[in-house]
Amino acid sequence: MSTISFHKLTKRYGPVLAVDDLSFDVHAGRVTGFLGPNGSGKTTTLRILLGLAAPTSGTATIDGLAYHQLPDPVRQVGAALDSNTLHPGRSAAQHLRVITTATGLPRRRVDEVLGLVGLSDVAGRRVGGFSLGMRQRLSLAGALLGDPDVLIFDEPLNGLDPDGIRWIRGLLRSPSAQNRTVFVSSHLLSEVAQTVDDVIVLSRGRLMAQTTLSELTARTSVIRVRTPDASRLAGVLMAAGIQVRLVDNSTVEARSATADAIGLAAADAGLVILELSRQDEDLESLFFDLVNQNQQDYQNQEIAA
Amino acid sequence: MNATLRLARAELRKLFTTRALPVSFAIAIVLAVGSVIIQAMVAGKNGAAPLGTDANVYQMLKFGAVTSVVMLILGILAAGGEFRHRTIVPALLATPSRGRIFAVKVAVIAGLGAAFSAAVFGLGLGTVALELSAHGIHHLPAGIGSLYLGTVIASACFGMIGVALGALTRNTIGAIVAAITWALFIETVILNAVAPGLEKWLPTGAATGLTNAPGHGHSLTPAVAGTVLTGYAIVLLLAAIRTTMRRDVA
Repeated sequence: MSTISFHKLTKRYGPVLAVDDLSFDVHAGRVTGFLGPNGSGKTTTLRILLGLAAPTSGTATIDGLAYHQLPDPVRQVGAALDSNTLHPGRSAAQHLRVITTATGLPRRRVDEVLGLVGLSDVAGRRVGGFSLGMRQRLSLAGALLGDPDVLIFDEPLNGLDPDGIRWIRGLLRSPSAQNRTVFVSSHLLSEVAQTVDDVIVLSRGRLMAQTTLSELTARTSVIRVRTPDASRLAGVLMAAGIQVRLVDNSTVEARSATADAIGLAAADAGLVILELSRQDEDLESLFFDLVNQNQQDYQNQEIAA
Repeated sequence: MNATLRLARAELRKLFTTRALPVSFAIAIVLAVGSVIIQAMVAGKNGAAPLGTDANVYQMLKFGAVTSVVMLILGILAAGGEFRHRTIVPALLATPSRGRIFAVKVAVIAGLGAAFSAAVFGLGLGTVALELSAHGIHHLPAGIGSLYLGTVIASACFGMIGVALGALTRNTIGAIVAAITWALFIETVILNAVAPGLEKWLPTGAATGLTNAPGHGHSLTPAVAGTVLTGYAIVLLLAAIRTTMRRDVA
């Protein structure tokens, strides 16, 4: 199974820093969500990985090789960057036949992938008459042609209706996607939360978080504690290995901890607890917190400058 | 089959699965055959050369302009269309070698230009022979071989120039309008009137040296004209390769 690696990747367009010293690995055999708001550098990062754009510095590799160095790219990597890379005058089958002809893939793969994405009935129709959902499916069919180990999808849910979204989620969790390295970008965590194992969060080209979905979910569990001496309670909880945030002089928020653990730690330290309440966040709020943290830092830097 | 041949077949598949190629080829064939018939009908009238004379036959076989313009447009569409419709993305994902993709595209368009113009010239020549034999004329001028070869070379070169322009501009409509305006108006009308000594050294002027009757006016000789036109194609292709290798694909 294949691993995707980014090492100190930077891309600058004139004064704009699109990707900022990005280093992370996408683990083999897992579905990884590549998340960030529009303009955060996701597509640029993927384009560099696929050899469509040159990095200003750093590397992006698949199994240690740049995309153009792969011995048989179409059988190793399948990528669908967007649905607007199709000639409107060609039929769905013709579009795929151009790829199989150029790469030596067997002709039968065209029919197989068209069946897989549910486009067999419109194989002979010109792409110009396709809906956005049909074009997305055809792009994904192109990515699946070589039956590759690595699948890279850029915003595959963009503009799709609920049926299309359900279909793509099903594809990502289908047997045909299992045991592959799947790297899928989205600007909304909620879009891919049902399908990903790992999460990478990007904001303004910077890596904000690299974690598993289960770890991220655990972070959404927040317990708010009111006490007369919040700073002392924060110290006690941190010493007990609990992640805390000091809200004000009398309030502490604890993550990834049970109310029992907090109560016992406070009791052991002889601290009075006035209120203890669970205030869970949703995943999307946490995602926006992660993203906005960097944007706030960026604004502060601009003000300082 | 090796990778380059597969890529060439894919390139041909791209060309033959869009409407531009069959439509433009059909138009060129109709124009070629139609012009022979019309030239034969007006021969000897209103100062036109009599039917069967060398001047009349050469006039009937002036297909170079049509086949060259068709190949110029097809070359622009083949290269510029990849960027306009962004099919360059799946092309580069399947074959991540920009140099090879570009070289194969140039070779395919040049080959197609040569084959297409040879076929159109052959068809036109057959029509001329039928027309003349119907009037009891059974000889053709000796310079037809040179004209045939010149038409093939000019069409192949204009196809390559089209690929270069398409890759440089990445804008099919803009490139076609600019190229046709240059070839048929700026060079042929304005520069030809203002500076005829310079015009014959420019692309359309050089093509005229290849595709018009031998010894036509002040044109370059076919050998010089072929060299000059090939030189323009090579210079433009080198500029296109340079930008194609460097630019990011959006």
